[in-house]
Amino acid sequence: MLLTINTDDPRPIYQQVADGIKELIAGGKLEEGAALPPVRQLAADLGVNLNTIATAYRELQKEGLITVKHGSGSVVASLTSTERNQDELLRPLRTALTQMVLAGLPESKILRLVISELHLVGKGNK
Amino acid sequence: MPQSQFVLLFYLFWWGARIRGCFRRWPQPLLRGPEWFFNVRVQPGFYEGPGKKILQRYRMRMFIPFVLDIPIVMSIFIPGYLQYFIWLLLAQASVIHLNHVFSVDIAERQARHLAIPEAEQPVAAIGFSLQPRRLRDYTNPKLEWALALPFVVSFLWLLRYYFAAPEHHNLRHVFGVPVYYIYMELGLLLVKHVIVAWRTPVPQTQAAEHMLAREETRKYYLLMCDLNRAAVAAATLFWPIILSVSPATSLHLRNIWIAIWLAITVVNGVWVEIKRKQLLTMALRALPVKLPDFLQQTEIARWPLCYQPSAPMLVLKGARGYSLNLANTLAQFGAAYLAGWVVLFTFLRMGH
Repeated sequence: MLLTINTDDPRPIYQQVADGIKELIAGGKLEEGAALPPVRQLAADLGVNLNTIATAYRELQKEGLITVKHGSGSVVASLTSTERNQDELLRPLRTALTQMVLAGLPESKILRLVISELHLVGKGNK
Repeated sequence: MPQSQFVLLFYLFWWGARIRGCFRRWPQPLLRGPEWFFNVRVQPGFYEGPGKKILQRYRMRMFIPFVLDIPIVMSIFIPGYLQYFIWLLLAQASVIHLNHVFSVDIAERQARHLAIPEAEQPVAAIGFSLQPRRLRDYTNPKLEWALALPFVVSFLWLLRYYFAAPEHHNLRHVFGVPVYYIYMELGLLLVKHVIVAWRTPVPQTQAAEHMLAREETRKYYLLMCDLNRAAVAAATLFWPIILSVSPATSLHLRNIWIAIWLAITVVNGVWVEIKRKQLLTMALRALPVKLPDFLQQTEIARWPLCYQPSAPMLVLKGARGYSLNLANTLAQFGAAYLAGWVVLFTFLRMGH
């Protein structure tokens, strides 16, 4: 299972790593209990500072997507265990929708795009 | 056959393997075709112009270990210090390997001045595996048990041998050899750790080919380590046998032992050649690309040794070739291991 980092992407590297892992979890490619590589391995493979990957892992841990156990590494947490309220989850969606409306996209097209993205993200979970 | 002749035979075989190595390395810069110099995409006419000199220099550097060989061999063979022969082989193997790695790096750096500029641009997307890579993921438990058994048997045998008549035996003489072998095993395990930890970044294009080539190379080197560990385990088991028999039988057994290892070495040499060819075919399928350097390694690693706690890599590719990162735990273990060799060697020598 490969994760890709793009230097043309405006997001910082830690964000790209965290988002990439989130996508894999959402798509069911990384299942509950799946072990993630140690911070040192990922940082060495990418050739980045250790803190970059540690920050990405911390973000995933904060969101309840992974659990970090000392000595045995990080594993994907149960999706039902993530305790995030609906408002918090809706916030980025609202921002994205606002940008689409401001860009002049008609409602029907926005709806189509959202459904297609949802299918893409949740492909592996079906 | 006396042992000195066996040693000479081994040494001749070693020379044969080294000459074979030279034949293998000679065409290496051109393996991807005339538009390439190792992993550098060069401009047309490179080999007719300044590239010719770069290629010649690379080939000349291959003979540096042979030149270093002459005084060392003379100081071992002429006075008859054949017991140091194994150390000579180990040292030579390291020198040959390091010389090649640095020679390729120097040649590539010289060739980059004449490279196609677009090919020298780092790719935008870099991929990495989310598969955890730990030593236990590359370990076969059955093999580990099989390798541990000779050590246990050997120690039990030596304990029985020593306590049967402790006043007649030197403790260091009886147990020194297996302790030395165990330490060697630990060293090989450390090498395995380094091989497993070796970084595997791949470009997004041809990611599968790059990943396959790197993983197969990793497995090959791990297998080589296990073969050496098996040899060390067998040698540990052979030691109590040698001690327990009469001197005449011991000499006879030693000759058989060396003859067996000579045969194994020849078979292994052929197998290594076949395996290397397979790995090369795999490596050639993956076109080399320049990956982005997020850490600015050329800036932070200017000397062969550096201390960069924020860099997770054991070896950094610095401005003057490779640089060993002393802040890496594996480098620290390696340094402690080498210091341990000196202590162990001194301790065992004190008994003589």
